[in-house]
Amino acid sequence: MKYIFLILIAVMSFSSWGEAVKHAHGSQDNHLHEQLVDGSKLDVDPKRFSRFIKNLADLQIVIVSVKGMVCDFCARGLEKTFKKDGSVKKIDVDLKKGKIFIAYPTDKNIDFNDIKQKIVANGQDAFDMQIITL
Amino acid sequence: MGMGMGIKIVVAFFCLMQLELNARPISYSGGSTLMAFSDDMKTSLYYHYSPSHKYSIGIESLNDKAFKDSYSYARLSYLVLRKNTEHSQTNLYFKSGISSKGLENIFYGINGDWETRRWFTGFSFKKIKTRSRNYRDQYYQFGIAPYLGDYGDLHTWITVKIKENSLDDKWSAYPVLKFFKGNVLLELGYGKVSQWDMHLMYRF
Repeated sequence: MKYIFLILIAVMSFSSWGEAVKHAHGSQDNHLHEQLVDGSKLDVDPKRFSRFIKNLADLQIVIVSVKGMVCDFCARGLEKTFKKDGSVKKIDVDLKKGKIFIAYPTDKNIDFNDIKQKIVANGQDAFDMQIITL
Repeated sequence: MGMGMGIKIVVAFFCLMQLELNARPISYSGGSTLMAFSDDMKTSLYYHYSPSHKYSIGIESLNDKAFKDSYSYARLSYLVLRKNTEHSQTNLYFKSGISSKGLENIFYGINGDWETRRWFTGFSFKKIKTRSRNYRDQYYQFGIAPYLGDYGDLHTWITVKIKENSLDDKWSAYPVLKFFKGNVLLELGYGKVSQWDMHLMYRF
């Protein structure tokens, strides 16, 4: 009985962690919440992010933190690489914060390793990712 | 006349003038780059394709002003080192070329850069072998961005380039302005010794 209880706690913890990562705050009115449901802070330029999600709905926004994205000219390849993926609805680059915003359909399975590979192929490194569902 | 049309005319002008450029010898995976360059040593046009972000292969057609000759290079560039941090990028490249005149005309060397959104430093060191003489060519470049543009804006760099080649054994330093917007980058410099130094790059 004790083991079943422990396994249940473990399963519930794992599922709630997954929920926190995948369903960070966002809302239909596109109002930006700075705190994600997993407790982590959304580190974006609020104005830029609000502009990005304006008129978007029923999408998940992937916010990728990137190292080495210091120049507009070099970041151009990122936009081209991600736009080759037909499921990408919109993309933006924030050079100041070192972030990329990518809008995917909500049913798209987001694989951080796949995103990291795309960014490495452009010469930069991804080191963090947050997801907001609109 | 729209901005896009203006850029096309500038690109076409440089292509017709057979110019070339040396900055960033490797693009993103699957990316192509057309570079034009002109200074006191040569004018050339260089196209390269990057199968991966680690290397590029390309063809350079050049007019060698030093030896009053024209030929082409099959070129290979390889990314030896890249260090990305949150606010900077460091690159070191190996570059090489074999001329259409065979093994008598080759070059090899390294170039590198370190940049943040505000500061830029870069260098190039190249050994060139020709039928009549071997020589080296090197430059060092330092720059600052007077303002930090947003993604998609016109970006501007004010830099100083210091260069030397062993043919005339003279160092020269002169200002170079660098502009880029979207997929187009343009560098313009002028010095008493080197005269006009022009670089144009279009990435696609």
